[in-house]
Parts: sequence; structure tokens; C-alpha cells
Amino acid sequence: MRRVIKGNHAVSHGVRLSRVKVISAYPITPQTTIVEELSELCASGALDAKFIKVESEHSALAALVGSATAGVRSFTATSSQGLLLMHEVLHWVCGARLPIVLANVNRAVGAGWNIWADQTDSISQRDTGWIQIYCESNQEVLDSIIMAYKLAERLLTPVMVSYDAFFLSHTSEVVDIPVQEKVDEFLPPYEPPYKIDFSDPRMFGGMIGPEVYYEERYRIYRDMMAAIEAYGEICDEFGDAFGRRYMAAEPYMIDDADIVVVTAGTITSVARIAVEEARQKGINLGLMKLRLFRPVPHELWRELLGDVSKVVVIDRNLVSGLGGAFASEIRSALFPLESRPKVYSAIAGLGGRDVTPADVLGIVQQVVGEEADVDVPIFWGLKE
Amino acid sequence: MKGEKRSAKAKRYELKSWREFPLMNVSLGTMLHNLTGSWRFIKPIYEDKTPPCQNACPCGNDIEAWIRLLQADKVDRAYLHLKREEPFPAVLGRVCFRFCEDQCNRAGLDESISIRELERYVGDKGLEAGIQPEVPSYHNKSLGVVGSGPSGMSAAYFARLLGFHVTVYEAYDVLGGLLRTGIPHYRLPNRIVEAEFELLKKMGIEFREGIRIGKEIPFERLCQEHDYVFLGPGAHKCRVLGIEDEEAGPQIMPGLEFLKKVALGFAPDVGRRVTIVGGGNTAVDAARTALRLGAHEVTVIYRRSEAEMPAHPEEVREAREEGVKFRFLASPEKIELRGKETIELLCTEMELGPIDESGRRKPVKKKGSVFTVHTDTMIVAIGETASFPPLNELLDYKGGPLDVSEELFVIMPFEGGAKVYAGGDLINIPHTVVHAVASGKRAAVAIDCDRRGANFDEVLSEISIGEGQGLSFSRYVGLGPLNPVRQDPRKVVKKENIVYDYFDKASRVSVPVRKPHERTKDFEPYLGTMDKVQAVSECNRCIHCGRCIECDNCLVFCPDVSILPADTGSFGYVIDYDYCKGCGICFTECPRFAISMVDEEVDVKEV
Repeated sequence: MRRVIKGNHAVSHGVRLSRVKVISAYPITPQTTIVEELSELCASGALDAKFIKVESEHSALAALVGSATAGVRSFTATSSQGLLLMHEVLHWVCGARLPIVLANVNRAVGAGWNIWADQTDSISQRDTGWIQIYCESNQEVLDSIIMAYKLAERLLTPVMVSYDAFFLSHTSEVVDIPVQEKVDEFLPPYEPPYKIDFSDPRMFGGMIGPEVYYEERYRIYRDMMAAIEAYGEICDEFGDAFGRRYMAAEPYMIDDADIVVVTAGTITSVARIAVEEARQKGINLGLMKLRLFRPVPHELWRELLGDVSKVVVIDRNLVSGLGGAFASEIRSALFPLESRPKVYSAIAGLGGRDVTPADVLGIVQQVVGEEADVDVPIFWGLKE
Repeated sequence: MKGEKRSAKAKRYELKSWREFPLMNVSLGTMLHNLTGSWRFIKPIYEDKTPPCQNACPCGNDIEAWIRLLQADKVDRAYLHLKREEPFPAVLGRVCFRFCEDQCNRAGLDESISIRELERYVGDKGLEAGIQPEVPSYHNKSLGVVGSGPSGMSAAYFARLLGFHVTVYEAYDVLGGLLRTGIPHYRLPNRIVEAEFELLKKMGIEFREGIRIGKEIPFERLCQEHDYVFLGPGAHKCRVLGIEDEEAGPQIMPGLEFLKKVALGFAPDVGRRVTIVGGGNTAVDAARTALRLGAHEVTVIYRRSEAEMPAHPEEVREAREEGVKFRFLASPEKIELRGKETIELLCTEMELGPIDESGRRKPVKKKGSVFTVHTDTMIVAIGETASFPPLNELLDYKGGPLDVSEELFVIMPFEGGAKVYAGGDLINIPHTVVHAVASGKRAAVAIDCDRRGANFDEVLSEISIGEGQGLSFSRYVGLGPLNPVRQDPRKVVKKENIVYDYFDKASRVSVPVRKPHERTKDFEPYLGTMDKVQAVSECNRCIHCGRCIECDNCLVFCPDVSILPADTGSFGYVIDYDYCKGCGICFTECPRFAISMVDEEVDVKEV
């Protein structure tokens, strides 16, 4: 069923189709309409789920710690400061191995107060042990929610699905909404290995000492890394079922490229146009769309970027004292290669500033013309 | 589970490798062995308390309980439960000034519950069905009741329920006292009073109409014939203004006399213009009655301001709706008759001076502010005082309310004769029907205590409700509460004890009221009665303050799964103190304060 819907509603459909049992969320712009629609679905009975109203994002996620421990599929959505307020519980969810899915609308963090697109919020939570997926379109958002549950439940690892504020959250696109039966086939009911059982009370989240904590953490790392392979399998299963395939990192005209631009989120669509325009100008430009960011798919990145001479990573985030987070991680992934491309970093689109194909071309031309310093990020279009 | 938990022990698991660890952070074995032990220092208990409505009711009416029965469509049981504490619901459901509703905690959310209208509904249903409480057999003691008004009838009803032979002596030829002669029919129709008396007669109470004690039967004989005597003669002596020509003609009459005449079918011709002097309920009743007799201009003159009026504000509001005018801060000075019909009433304007002994600001004359009122009838309703002439010599009594002790015992006037108790308007209590009923109930219990040689004060401390205004007849006769759980009837539930978040707003059900210009054409009642759907939906608004209604909130919230439903067929819940941590969440989340937290009793030796 094809419908013109906003990115936020694509999330709601994804949650509905995943037959989530507990939703707990606190409203924040630009996430609000997700939970608005979900609360209506719960109230009308279209979705057989418990909607828990809470007083903060910290409580929203904490409530899901309870519901997920009770053994049911659980969902929350947030953005920006809300995600930051969840920080402590994000770590806990990972350690407790609860397969919660969280939709995060990428929004700038304050101060100054800014509600527009910026990935700094989820980037700042990249070390909390959550699988991170970045989306480019509303279709991808809906599909990612369904895939996320399958991935999370297979690995007992939580998944965060992120997408840009307003460019997706409040923009309508044609989305093919899968039928319930097909989703049910793809995503069977959640069967937790352990859950709260009143007739056999167990302790959850108890203390574990130095003799095993280290091993527990190793196992979390190991299972998280296994997500790369699991992601590939689920990606194929999903592709077979629904005809849409989302690789962990997606190449575009890379085979003969001298320069590859790397993007995440909606800038990717803009960069595709820029690639075509660059080719007309005689620049052999390729594109790598970054989708799976945690765990880091080192091998895939090396495979896609290892042979080009220059890579320029456009980050819609800024880690103060470092630069672009994606650039930094790609450099680190490529470092063990004997011959590796020069990796340039560019910062663009912070706080919702528009990034056009001309901007992408402008950045690429700086790299082509050796004007850019590989040690310093390109701040493109910085106002005088 | 109960047996298994104490024997459960923390099991040690010998794991060869961390790879054998469960996939989640979860204990390998049961946690049943993990008892709370001595960690808890306070614990929750289920403890029913007194709702504010019951506390405010002079009669101690267990309102919440019968509302709950009515809610469950058990009208008959609701009626009988109501009759445990109160003799005539169909009457009080019409004339009570609803002190209960003033205190209703529901008002903290939207509006108080319409308790009086519900009581009227239940009372009427009970009368229709002719339901009677079970009456015990007689013992050998007898009670003589003087007066068949609210206090006397209440004493008679409760004394009969306690096994007394009861005889009621009524000076008039009709029964009911004030209910019959003082309260206009538009508020309390005759048929209701008569139906209630029929029920009382069926209980075995004997009535002797047309007997005035001290006249047809001497007080001494009454005291010799009975073991106990209850005096409820009421307040019939009308106060006078003490101004010139107050008794100059038949068109000047006392308020209560006027009402009595109308009630008994001897309504006087009041003319076009009627002026009533006074600010109490009798004054307002007289004004509204005058309108119904065809008067066009009815004015109430009161010497203080509206705020000081003793009349119930609701009565004043309804009188205004009907067209009664009020002239405040005015006092009559002189009456002059002009011809046979017209009265010229000279009045002075007043102003409020310093506070007097009644706690209100004393009205004082404004100099040079005389004005004249022309009227066809003048009704003086400035209060009535109690009198019971046979007491005059015995007590050096000159009329007015007796200041009696809590048990309402007055005197044992004749050697070997009856002990005499008093109630209603004869004693120093607020002059409302429900206060009179409460005094009769209290006297009946005091008399019964005396009969069986029990100490009334001790009994009272056992059966008092809330702050002690009302007492529980149920508890006196050993009838259990609706909920078989621990009770603390002295604890009154306040607004701050209610978790209003659990209640949705719902407006108060209103009964049909006749339009003012229609209702003043006759003496038919102007307040309608609820239908079943309205009654149930009004009951559904009740918070059930302080009473467990098995809403399951505690069970849902308990983080230790330590609150379990009671066995099938039993009421409420059981708390598994082996695991309860005393966190108090059930207490905090109980919407209606039916759970209390109490200190853990610690055995020092054991510690």
C-alpha cells in the first residue's frame, strides 16, 4: 500500500507493524507526532499496546527496562536533549541485554536553542552500546524499524534508528507500507530467553563482581560485532521479502571513482545529484552512504574506500576538539591498510542549515584542487 | 508458593566457564529465599477510615457504604444500610441541609456528590418496596417519648431497635411535629411523612395523638408509667419583637403559627403584600409559603446583612428565584394599623457595629433613617424557643434550650420513676432536622447503656465516628461494616489524602427542578427525584474515601508482587510480608487512602 506520509508517521507504521506491546515516550520537537499517532493507535485499539505516559525521557526509557524485562517488545522515540537525558539508561539497557528499539530524530543540541537537523545528539551516544542506524528516506525509516527489532532480538542488543529532523520527520514522501501478514512472517513474536515470571522469581540486573564483569563486557562487545554479519543476513531476508535492500554501507558509482564522498542521512540524496554533476565536470566522484555506524563495519568500509585516492567525509555533526565524528572513525578504520586514501573532513548542515548539491560540489572541488588541509576540517560556507 | 519459599535456599551454582552464564543479567536460581526479614521498619495495612461526608453528618450516616451498594444496583440493601443509622431517609433526603456535601472530597476535583438526592432516591425506593429493618423482640423496659417530631421519632425508632417498648405522646392530632406543621409541603409532602410513620407503627411503636403531657397526662404519671422518658417537644414558643401594637390584629402573626395553619389546611388570607421579619429558615419558609398563597409582593426584612443570616443559603437563593425580596439592615420600630387591612410598619435602617456574643457584628440603629413599609400581612419569624412547662418547677426552668451533657440525661424527677432524657430543639444543638434526629439516636443509645449498666462514655469512645459528632449504631449493636477489614473510624479522610489523578472529571447529576414561576402556583414539591440511570451515574462519581473497593491499584503497583488477591470469596487483598519491603508505593498510589503505613513492631530480644 503506497501512501504519502511524513517520516514520523513512517516510524509509527513501523512500530504498529512490528506489533510492539509497550510504548513509553515523552514528547519533544520534532519527535512529537510519532508518539501522538502511536497514542491514538493505542487508544483506538488499532495497536494492541500499552502506552505509558511519563514525566521525562529518562523515565520513558526506564519504563521500557521494566517492560522489556517482562518480556515484551518495547519502543520509545526521542530527539536531541531528550536522548541526552536518557544517557544513563541507554547504558543500562545495553548491559541488561534488552532488545529495545528507539527512534531518534536527529536534532541539534543546545545551547543555543535549535530544533533543526543535526546528528550531534546520536553521535554523542555512540559509546552506549546501542546499534546505530542512520536513514536517508521515509521508506528507509519504516523498514529500518522492522529490521531493527529482528536485529535487536537476535543479538539481545538495543537498536537506535536515527533520521534527520524536518528533512524527514516533517516531510512527506511516497512510502510503501507493507502488509501485516508479510511483516509477521519476517518478524516473529519476541521470545525472550528470560522474563519476569511470578511463579519463579529471579533477580534481574543484580551485582556481578570483578571475576565476571570483564567477561560480561567482552560478550557484549562480541555480540555487538556479530551484528555486522547478522545485519547482512537480515538485510538479505528483508530484501527477499520486501524487495528493498539496505546495505550496512551503500556505494554509489564507486568502482571508477578517484574521490569518494561519504555522507549519512539526508545529505546522501543531495550528494547523489552532486556525483552526477561532478562527473559532467570530469571529476570521477563516487559516494558511500553510511548507514550502520555501530558496530563499525570496518571491512565493508575498507572494501569500498580502500582503493580510492581521496575520501571526503561530510559530517552533519561536530565533535568539539576533534572534528567530524564520521570522518574520524573512517580514518581509524582505514588506518591499518598499507595504502590508504587521504581522508578529508567537512562539516556541513549543522543546526538544520541547508546543504545543496552545489555545496557538496564546492567541498569536493576544494579536495580536488588540494586547497584543503587534511588535518583541518573544511567548514564550508562559513559566513564572514 | 507459601510453603516452598521458607525452605528455598540460595543455591550456589558451580560454573565451569563464564560462557555458561545466562544470556541476560539474571539470577540462575529462584529468589524465593530472599525474604525481607528485619529490613522493613514500616509496613502497609488495609485500614478503612471515615469519609468526610460521614464525619460531617450529625447522624453518622454511613453514606459511602450505601452509595456503593446502590452503585452495584442493590437498592434494598442500600436502603437497609441507610436505615441502620437513620430512621427516615425519604424525609431527610428532602429536608436535610446536607452537611455531608459541604465536606465531600469530590469537590477537590469538580463538585461534591449529590448525596441528599441519592438519599431521597433510596428512601423513596425503600418506602415503595415497604422494606423494614429486622425488629428484635421486646425486653421489659419501656420508653415514653414526648413529641413525634424528628428527635422523638428518632429516639423511638432506635429504642425500638434496641428492644424497648415505646409509646409516643403527641400533643396535636397529627403525627410528625415540625415535619408536619413546620416544613412546607413543597419541601416535604404529607404522604412521605405519613408513609414513614406507617413503617414506624409496623415496627411496634405505639402512638397516642392529642395527648399533651402536663395537661391530658401529668408529667409525674408519665414518669411512673415508663422506665425512661425522652423529651422532644420542639420549639414552639415564637419570639416577639417587643414593639408597640405587635398583637394589634389578626394580620400580624408569628412565623411558625402561620406555617402550622397552612400545613393543617387553615391558610389565612394574606392579601397582596406580605412582610416577613427575621432571617432564619422559618422566615424564608414563611415568605415562600406566602407567595404560594397568592401574595404578589413578599419582602423579608432582616436587621443584619445577608452574611449573618441563619437561614440556609440554598433556601435564600431559591426564595429569590421565586421573587421574594430581601431588605437587609432594617429593623421594625412601630406598627400602625391603617383601617382594617393595611399595616404601616415604621422601620429604621441599621448598620453593623462591633461583634456581639453570637460572634456576629451587632446591628445598631442609623440615626434619622426611618422609612415606612406598607403591607397587608406581617409575619414575625425571629426565632422560636423551646419550652416544656412540666420542667419549670422541677428545674427552675424558664424555657429555652437545656444545656445537657453528652448523654442527654436531664433529671430523674420522681423517686423510683423514669430517668428523663432530652433532645431536638429542647437542647442546645443547631436547630435542624438532622441534628434533632442525631440527638434522638444518641439518647436511645444512652438510655440503652443505662438499662444494661454500661458506661456511656466508654461506649461512646468505641462507637464514635471521625471527630466524634456522630456515632455508629451499627457498631453499638455489633453489625459489621461493609468491608470486613480493619477499621479506624476516628481517622477522617481529607482532600490531601485523595490521589485525584485517578479520577476523571464528571459533572454532578442534577435533578429536575420546577421553574420558579410554576412552582409558586401550588404546594407540590419542586425538586424531582433521580431515575435509576442518574442515581447509578452519580454513585459512580463517589471516591469512596478511605474505603477499599478492590480497585486493584495496589496490586498493580506493588514492585515486589507482595499484594495478592484474597482467597476466592473473601474480600480485598493479602499482603505477603515475607517479601513486602515497606516501600509505601501501595499506600501512595491508593486513590482513596484505604491503606495505612504503620510502624513495624520490633522484638528487641530477637534483634
